[in-house]
Amino acid sequence: MTDITKEALSPPRSFLSQDAIQLFYRLLAALLICATLSFLTDSFLSLGNILNVLRQASLTFFIASGLTLVVLTAGLDLSVGANVALSACLAGTVIHHTGSPMLGILTGLACGGTVGLLNGIMVTALRIPSFIATYGMLWVLNGLSYWYMAGETIHGFPAGFRQIGSGYLFGLPIPVYLLLIFLAIGTLFAQRTIWGQEIYAIGANPVAARLSGIPVVRRLLLVYAVSGTMAGLASIIFLSRLNSAEADIGESLTLPAIAAVLIGGTSLFGGVGTVFGTFIGALILTLVLNGMNLLSVSANWQPLVTGVIVILAVWLDMKTRRRAQ
Amino acid sequence: MRQRLGYFALPLLMAAFTTQACADGETIAVFTKNQTNPFFQTVRVGADNMAKTLNAKTLQYIPTKPDSIPEQLSQIEDVVVKKPSAIVFTPVDYKAMVPGVEKINDAKIPVINITDRSAGGKFLSFIGADDYSLGLETGRFLLKTLGGKGNIVIIEGVKGSLTNVDRVRGFNDALKETPGAKLLASQPGNYQRLQALQVMENLMQSNSQIDGVLAANDAMAVGAIEALDGANRKAQVIGINGTKEAIDAIKSGKLLASGDYNGFAQGCLGTMMAIRSLRNEPVISEIVLKPTVITKDNYKPFDVPLEQRTCPTWDEASKLGGK
Repeated sequence: MTDITKEALSPPRSFLSQDAIQLFYRLLAALLICATLSFLTDSFLSLGNILNVLRQASLTFFIASGLTLVVLTAGLDLSVGANVALSACLAGTVIHHTGSPMLGILTGLACGGTVGLLNGIMVTALRIPSFIATYGMLWVLNGLSYWYMAGETIHGFPAGFRQIGSGYLFGLPIPVYLLLIFLAIGTLFAQRTIWGQEIYAIGANPVAARLSGIPVVRRLLLVYAVSGTMAGLASIIFLSRLNSAEADIGESLTLPAIAAVLIGGTSLFGGVGTVFGTFIGALILTLVLNGMNLLSVSANWQPLVTGVIVILAVWLDMKTRRRAQ
Repeated sequence: MRQRLGYFALPLLMAAFTTQACADGETIAVFTKNQTNPFFQTVRVGADNMAKTLNAKTLQYIPTKPDSIPEQLSQIEDVVVKKPSAIVFTPVDYKAMVPGVEKINDAKIPVINITDRSAGGKFLSFIGADDYSLGLETGRFLLKTLGGKGNIVIIEGVKGSLTNVDRVRGFNDALKETPGAKLLASQPGNYQRLQALQVMENLMQSNSQIDGVLAANDAMAVGAIEALDGANRKAQVIGINGTKEAIDAIKSGKLLASGDYNGFAQGCLGTMMAIRSLRNEPVISEIVLKPTVITKDNYKPFDVPLEQRTCPTWDEASKLGGK
């Protein structure tokens, strides 16, 4: 990497750049929801509930953070939820048979990462559109987990392992620490490293990116592998939090993760968005569900409200961006 | 050349499979809703077990996408062409699958309905459990354990699904019989462990005292227990289905009870009726299995691996709540 391209790649990101303004709107929306909920219920503003929301948002965030990178390259990874399911089933089996949480964690991460890498290979070497490649992968993974589990569940893990998902450290749930760590890593990686900036460049204009010497294929492979590995991490949190692995968890995880990315302001057309935005997106989704539970809102309204929020977020996003251009 | 070989190999392979399936006794096509719910695994093992005893064979049809209506419809179309001796059928949706059942009727293949009662079509017999009494009996057991009082929450399954409507109605009727008990909330967990856990975490925030949890299936019950454990709180929890996981939780004292949905017996009996009708033996036109509340006092017979369980005999079947 020569200095010239390095310079060409770093866009003029002043503090009040487009992204910063978009982020500000999202934070405002999250705060507005918080204010409304604390007004409507007595229990929303309790410390316990806030930790609840953060812990619940963390699972969605882990999956969505890796996905954000994929979406930044104008791709999509529909297999993340199914990847979590298969990784959880394999990791669960390994822990059950060996009694070693460490081996289980490695299995989960390796399974997730391998699946991600295969997605990347399909997208780059075989040139299959990511939407199709990962949709196909979703079926493959579902098939494998259904076959492997044969309608059973694996349950009961060592207490030490359970701490990862359910334990506390200095009064904060452990997943919240992980959330903060990965939020920091993700943000620094995307905003402050050359690789991160190259990913933005690929999403904004893949041809220009290739012509300016960015190794597009290698970066894409990396992005899909990261997305898969984060799904692997989520599978470990899932296992240790729920104390059980089952084959059908995937479906309930994929769409919220995609929704978090979109609500967070990452554009499906690539090149625009932030990992921090995705965190806010996951937070908004969780807040809304948490609020509806606290208010005992009927079940039927929950998906409807979520759907409306996703549509509104994307619409507002496109509108404000168009005006800014 | 290679491709041409493929053209030959495919029909040969298919022929090999079909002849194998028909070579020995009757072929019973068993339709279940998904590969993910342990309950249907017990149904399938029960069906296989009975078929083996009666020297027949089963072919399993399961939608690859859980509970998919279009997929089950196309599986029916495939089966009608293939013509099995009889069909044991669980509709993925009791209303939407009626046209599918009619297709089977038109093809003159005898069909037995199990688990969810189809809203239409002609069946030789119906074998199922009574979701309403499962809800009622498990609910009653919880309230009796709590001494007829306490704060209760219900975690519901998928709204509008037949099993959920009836189970929750049973829960509510048990609550109505018990004036001392108070229903704090009835929230959906969509039969999913994670959703039930999060709903329970949220409900614990707004309710400082929860004494009992009525969950419409075992996965949600176990999810609720995880949430309670995580918050260091205690409540008596009830599930439904009698899965292995629930039995383990009952043994360790974490789960108060689970209602047995009797998947194994449903699979056995459905297959038994199918084969008996083919052999011109009498069948029972309807068996609604009585609910069993599995508790720490009676879990032993349920703590046996599926493969080692035995199907009820014809004599036993006629005493199991038939009409």
